[in-house]
Amino acid sequence: MEPPAWRYRDGLFAGPDEDSSLYFTYSGAPNVLEVKQLHYQVNMAAQVPWHEKLAEFRMPWEIGRDDVSVIGNLNLKVQSGQMLAVIGSSGCGKTSLLDIITCRDEGGKIASGELLINGKPSSPQLVRKSIAHVRQSDRLLPHLTVRETLTFVARLRLPVHFTDKQREQRVEDVIAELRLRQCANTRVGNEYIRGVSGGERRRVSIAVQLLWNPGILILDEPTSGLDSFTAHNLVITLSRLARGNRLVLLSVHQPRSDIFQLFDLVVLLSTGSVAYCGAAKDMVPYFTTLGYPCPQYCNPSDFYVDLISIDRRSREQEAQCEQRVRELTVQFWDKVKDTDDFIWRPTEINGEDSASTSDTSSTSKAPEEVINVPAKSKDQLPGSLQQFSILLRRQVSNDFRDLPTLLIHGCEALLMSLLIGFLYFGAGDTKLSIQDTIVLMYMMTTLTPFAVVLDVIAKCHSERAMIFHELEDGMYSVTAYFFAKVIGELPEHCAFTLVYAVPIYWLAGLNAETGPFLLNFLIVWLVVYCSRAMALWSASLLPTLQLSSFMGNALFTTFYLTGGFVISLENMWLVAAWFSKISFLRWGFEGLMQVQFIGLKYKMTLGNFTFHIDGSQVVEAMDLNSDPLYACYLILLAVCVVFMFFYYLCLKFIRQKSSQDW
Amino acid sequence: MGAKVPPDKQRRSGNRSFRAKSGAVGSCSMDGSNAPKDDLELRSNREWRCHPGTAGNRPSCSLSVSRVSYSVSDRVGPWWDLPSYRKKWTRQILKEVSFYVESGQIMGILGNSGSGKTTLLDAISGRIGNAGNLLGDVYVNGHKLKREHFQDCFSYVLQSDNLLCYLTVQETLTYTARLALQKHSVESIRKKVDSVMAELSLSHVAGTVIGGRSFSGISGGERRRVSIAAQLLQDPKLILLDEPTTGLDSMTANQIVVLLSELAQKDRIVIVSIHQPRSELFRVFNQIAIMSCGELVFCGQPEEMVNFFSSCGYECPEYCNPFDLYVDLTSVDTRSTEREVETFDRVKAIRCAYEESDIYQRMLDNIEGARQQRERHPVPFKSKESPSDLCKLLVLLRRNTKNLLRNRIGILMRLFQNLIFGLFIAFFLMKLHEDVLKGAIQDRIGVIYQTMGGTPYTGMLNAVALFPALRAISDQESADGLYEKWHMLVAYIIHILPLSVISVVFFTTFLYWTVGMFPDLIRFICYTAVVLVPHVVGELLALVLLGIIQNPNIVNSAVALFNIAGILVGSGFLRSSQEMPELLQWLSYLTFQKYGCELLVVTEFYGLNFTCGEKPSNPGTGVHPCIFSNGIQFIEDGYPGAVSRYTLDFLMLYAFLPALVILGIISFNIRDYIAHR
Repeated sequence: MEPPAWRYRDGLFAGPDEDSSLYFTYSGAPNVLEVKQLHYQVNMAAQVPWHEKLAEFRMPWEIGRDDVSVIGNLNLKVQSGQMLAVIGSSGCGKTSLLDIITCRDEGGKIASGELLINGKPSSPQLVRKSIAHVRQSDRLLPHLTVRETLTFVARLRLPVHFTDKQREQRVEDVIAELRLRQCANTRVGNEYIRGVSGGERRRVSIAVQLLWNPGILILDEPTSGLDSFTAHNLVITLSRLARGNRLVLLSVHQPRSDIFQLFDLVVLLSTGSVAYCGAAKDMVPYFTTLGYPCPQYCNPSDFYVDLISIDRRSREQEAQCEQRVRELTVQFWDKVKDTDDFIWRPTEINGEDSASTSDTSSTSKAPEEVINVPAKSKDQLPGSLQQFSILLRRQVSNDFRDLPTLLIHGCEALLMSLLIGFLYFGAGDTKLSIQDTIVLMYMMTTLTPFAVVLDVIAKCHSERAMIFHELEDGMYSVTAYFFAKVIGELPEHCAFTLVYAVPIYWLAGLNAETGPFLLNFLIVWLVVYCSRAMALWSASLLPTLQLSSFMGNALFTTFYLTGGFVISLENMWLVAAWFSKISFLRWGFEGLMQVQFIGLKYKMTLGNFTFHIDGSQVVEAMDLNSDPLYACYLILLAVCVVFMFFYYLCLKFIRQKSSQDW
Repeated sequence: MGAKVPPDKQRRSGNRSFRAKSGAVGSCSMDGSNAPKDDLELRSNREWRCHPGTAGNRPSCSLSVSRVSYSVSDRVGPWWDLPSYRKKWTRQILKEVSFYVESGQIMGILGNSGSGKTTLLDAISGRIGNAGNLLGDVYVNGHKLKREHFQDCFSYVLQSDNLLCYLTVQETLTYTARLALQKHSVESIRKKVDSVMAELSLSHVAGTVIGGRSFSGISGGERRRVSIAAQLLQDPKLILLDEPTTGLDSMTANQIVVLLSELAQKDRIVIVSIHQPRSELFRVFNQIAIMSCGELVFCGQPEEMVNFFSSCGYECPEYCNPFDLYVDLTSVDTRSTEREVETFDRVKAIRCAYEESDIYQRMLDNIEGARQQRERHPVPFKSKESPSDLCKLLVLLRRNTKNLLRNRIGILMRLFQNLIFGLFIAFFLMKLHEDVLKGAIQDRIGVIYQTMGGTPYTGMLNAVALFPALRAISDQESADGLYEKWHMLVAYIIHILPLSVISVVFFTTFLYWTVGMFPDLIRFICYTAVVLVPHVVGELLALVLLGIIQNPNIVNSAVALFNIAGILVGSGFLRSSQEMPELLQWLSYLTFQKYGCELLVVTEFYGLNFTCGEKPSNPGTGVHPCIFSNGIQFIEDGYPGAVSRYTLDFLMLYAFLPALVILGIISFNIRDYIAHR
C-alpha cells in the first residue's frame, strides 16, 4: 500500500540507525480510552471570565444562557499502541474534545454520553496519573536554560528509582530527539526577554511532557509553529512512542501530506461530529466510495478538511456546506454504528487488517526496549520534601539570572534609602528634632513596603500561568510550591531590607547602640515581609494584574491611612480604628517609635522656654503606647502568618489561571 | 488532469477564471470533479502571465537584490558566565543573497525557522537597523537604492496586526489614508479606500469594528487583509510580507496567498515569506526562493525548481508536496553531529549545483540587464505627500479620540479612578476639625499629602494600561513613514487632557466638600487647578518612560518610585526644607510636589483659625500640639514667604506640563533612534 515516495522520505528524515527508540516502552497495563455517545454543550457566555464581564459592565442577570452544542454524538475507542490524530479546521471542536478528555473543559457540560479511561470514568485524579497533556501555549520560566528547565522537570517528574545519571541521560535523549541541542544552553526567554526561538520554545514544552514517559500522551496542536522538518520528526517520535505501547492522541489542524501518512488512525471532525474515523490510508478510498475522490497532487487531509469545513463567507454557501457535512456524518455513523470501536474498515480486508493492527501493537516493540522498568515502582514520584528542594533550587536559579529585575529592585531600595537618609542627614551633633524623628519613623515603615507590593504582584502574575499548568499536571503539590516560593524569596527579601534599612539608620544618625538598631531592623524586616505576604495574597486571589494591583494598593492605602500618622489614632472613627488594629504599618510604626523614643530625653525650645521631654511622653502623646513592644513584634508576626496562610489557601483553592494581557 | 478546455478560451477569460479559482480554493464548492480543472486553469493562467511578450514590452518595474549579506556580533555566553560573556562572535545571518523579480510576479521565500527569511525581508525593506553589518546592493529598475530610500519604496506587512480595536475597517483605512495622502480631497480618499476594500474583498465588513481580546470583531483573516489594505493605500509597487499566513487556518491562508497573487498581477511585485505552504499554492507563485542557513539555496520558477531538484537527483514523488520536500532537503539536521555533517554537505551540494545552473546565470543576466536599462523607468516610490505636522496630529487625534470614546472601560477607568481614591480618603478621614487637639493640622496635611501623592499614581495607571497598544501602532506606522513617533505621543496627550480635567473635577468636588475644606468657591477652584497638574504629570511621566522602557511593569514601579521620591524631597511635610542638606534643597526645586504642596497649604491654611481643646489656644501653657493658633502661623513656620509666592508657584507648577511634553518628545525620538540602530 505504501507508495515508494514515502519510503524515500523516510530515508530523508531518519537513517535506519536512528530507528531504534530512545525511550523505554511503557510497561504499565495497556490503556484504553473510550468516548461513548458524547454530546457536549458550551454556554458561550460562561466562556468569558467574570472579571471581563465586569469590565464590560454586563451584570449576571443580563447574560443569557445560550447553550451551543459543540460536540454531538461522538464515539471513539483508542488503545495503547495506537496514535490517533484529530483533524479538522479551526472551530470544529478539536480542542474541546481534548479538554473534555483531560477534564479541563470550562463553561461547558456533558449533555449525555461518557468518557472512560481503562473502563473507569475519567476524573482529574485519573487524568493526572496517566495522561500527559501538551498545551498550545508555552509556559516556562524565562531565565532558565533549556537544559536546566528539563533537568528540573526530570527531577520532579521521574520516579525516585532513577539515578542522577539516568535522569541526565533522559534529558539528553529528549534534547536530541527534539533537536534542541544547539540551544540547550540558551535561556528560554519570553516576549520581553530574548531567548530561544518560538519553534524551539514549543519543542521545550513538548520535551517537558515527554520526559516523564506517560502511558497516554495528549497533544493539542503540537506541530503548529514548528517548521516542516521538526514537525515531521516530532510526529515520527510520537508514532514511535505509540509503538512503545503508548496511547497517543493529538489534534492537528493542517497536517502536511508526509505527516498525514505517519498517522495510523485519523478522526475527521466537523462541527463536533465525526465525518471519518479509521486508518489514515483508508480515508481516500472511503471518501471515494461516497463520491468525493481526492484529486491527484493534492494532500488528502487538506482536501477533505476543506470538504467538511463550513465556508461562512456567504449565507447560501454556509447552508450548502452544513447540509453536506450533515449527510457525511450521518453516512459515516450508519457505517460504523455496529462495530466495536467505531473504526471504518474496508469490508474486503476487514479481518486481516485488524489482525495486523493488533499484531503491531503487541509484539513488534520488544526489541526497542532500552530500560525495562518494573511497573510497581513507576508511581513513586519524589516526595513533598524532595519536590520542595527541587522547586527551591529552580526558583532561586531563575530569580538570580534575572539581572535587570535584580538590579532594578536593588537600585530602587538603595535610592529610596539614600534619599531618606540624606533627607534627615546633617543631624550630626544636634540630634533630629522630635517631629522629624516621628516622620522618619513613619517613612521607614511605609515607603519600601509600597514598592515591594507592586513588584511582588507583577512577578507573581508573570509566573502564574506556569504554576497553573504544573499544578494541574500534578507535577508537584501546592504545599511544596508554597514553601519553595516563600523560602526561595527570603534571601532576596533579606538583602533588600538590608540595603534599605541600614543606610537610613546610619545616615539619619539614630540611636547608635546595637540593641535598638537590631530591634529597629527586625521591625522593618517584619513590616516589609507583611507587605510582601499581602501582595502574594492579592496576586493569587484575583485573576488579572490590574485587579490585583488595585486590591494591593487599596489595602495598602487603607493600612497607610490608619497607620496612626496621617490621621491621629484618637481621632479615628470606629471603622477606621478597626482597620488600624490590623494595619501592619501601624504596628510597625508603633514599634519603631517605642524603640526609638522610650528611654531618651529630648530638649525642646519654644520661644524663650526650654523643655525637657521624656521620649515616652512623645509616644504617649501619639497614643502609640497601647501595647508593650514585644506585642508589636508578635502582632506583626501574626499578620505575616495570616497573610501567608491566605496566600496558601488561594493557591490551594483558587485556580491560578492567568489572563495577563500585556 | 481531465479537463479539456480550449486554450484560447482560457486566455480570453484570463483574469476572471483566476478569480473563480481563488473563490474555489479551500471552499466548499470544491469537489472531486472540479478541482483538477481549477488546477489546469491556474497553470494556463500562469503561463499567460509568464510571457509578458503578449503584453508587448518589458515590465514596468523590476527589483534586483545583489549579494546582500548581513552579520551581527553577539556575546558568546550569558552574563553570569563572565569569561564567555566577554567574548564576542560574529554570526552571519545572510550570506550573499541575490535574486531578481519583475512586476506582475509573486515570489515566495521558503525555509525553516531560523533560515533568515525575516532578516532578508527586513534588510530589503530597510528596517534592519545599524546594529549589524549589512553589505550588498538593492536595485529598483536598475537604480541603486540608498539606505534611506528603502522605506519609501517598499511596503512591509508585518507578521502581527497592530490595529486599533474599536475602529471599524473603513475608519481604520480612512485614517491611514489621511495620514498617507494628505493632499487628496475627502472624496478621493473615500474612493481610494472603497477601491482598496473592494480589491481585498473587505467591503462586507466595512462597518464592523476590528475587535480585541474581550469582544469580538472581524475574523483573523479579515484582520490580516486590513493590514495589507493599509499598505495598499499608498500604491506601492513593491510589497513585502512577513509570514502573512501564520496563525490563520489553512483555508484562510490559501485565500490570502491567492489574493496576493492577484495583487501581483496588477503590475506589482509581491514578496512573501511563507511557512508550510500547501501544495495547491505551488502554481500560484511565479518565483520560489528557498533559504537555508542564511543562504539562498534556490531561486526560480516552480517548474524549474522541480527540474532542478530532479537533476540533482532528488525526484519529487507524485503524491508529495514539493514545497515540503525541498525545504526538508535543504535544511540542516542538528540532531547529531553525523546527521549535521551529512545534511550540511547535501545543502552545500545543492547550492553549488544551483550556482552552476542556467537559472542562476539567467538571474545574474537579468540583474545586469536591468542595470543597463535604468534610464527607461524611474524608481517607483510610494505615493506619499508629507503633510504638515499639524495635519498629521489632527488626524491622529481624531483617530485616537474615536477609538477611546468607544472604549467603555477605558473611559470609566479614566473618569472614576480618582474618585474612588477620594472615597478612600473621605472614608477614613470623615470630617476635618478646627480643634488642633483633634488633629486639625495633622488631618489637613494628610489630605494634601494624599492628593499630591495619589493623583500622579492614578494618572500613571491610565497611561500604562492604555498607551502600550498605541505605542505598538506608532512603532509600525512610523516605520512605514506615515508619521514620527512623537506625533502619536502628542496626539495621545491632547486626547486625554479633557478626560483628565473632568476626572480631577469629580475627585476634588467630592473630596473638597465632603471632608469640609476651606469653604470658599475661589479656593476650591484653586485647589482643583493645582490637583490637575500632579494627575497629568503622573501620566506624562509614565509616557516619557514608556518611550525608552519597553516593559510597562518596570515603568509602573519607576513612576511610583519617582513619585515617592518627589514627595519626600519636595513636599516639606516630611522634613521642612530649611533643614534638608543643601543638595536636596536644590533638588526640591525640580519637583512639582514642592510647588503643588506649597500652593495647597496656602489655599487651605491661609486665614484659618484653630481652637485648642475647649478654649481658644494659648501658646504659653506648654503642651506642644497647640503651637499654632491660626493657619498663617503654620504657613510661615513651614513655608516662609509662600503666600507672596502664590502666583509664581502656580506658574512653576504649570511649567512642568510643557517641560514633560518636550521630554516625552525627546524620549520618543530616542526610541526612534534606538529602533534604527
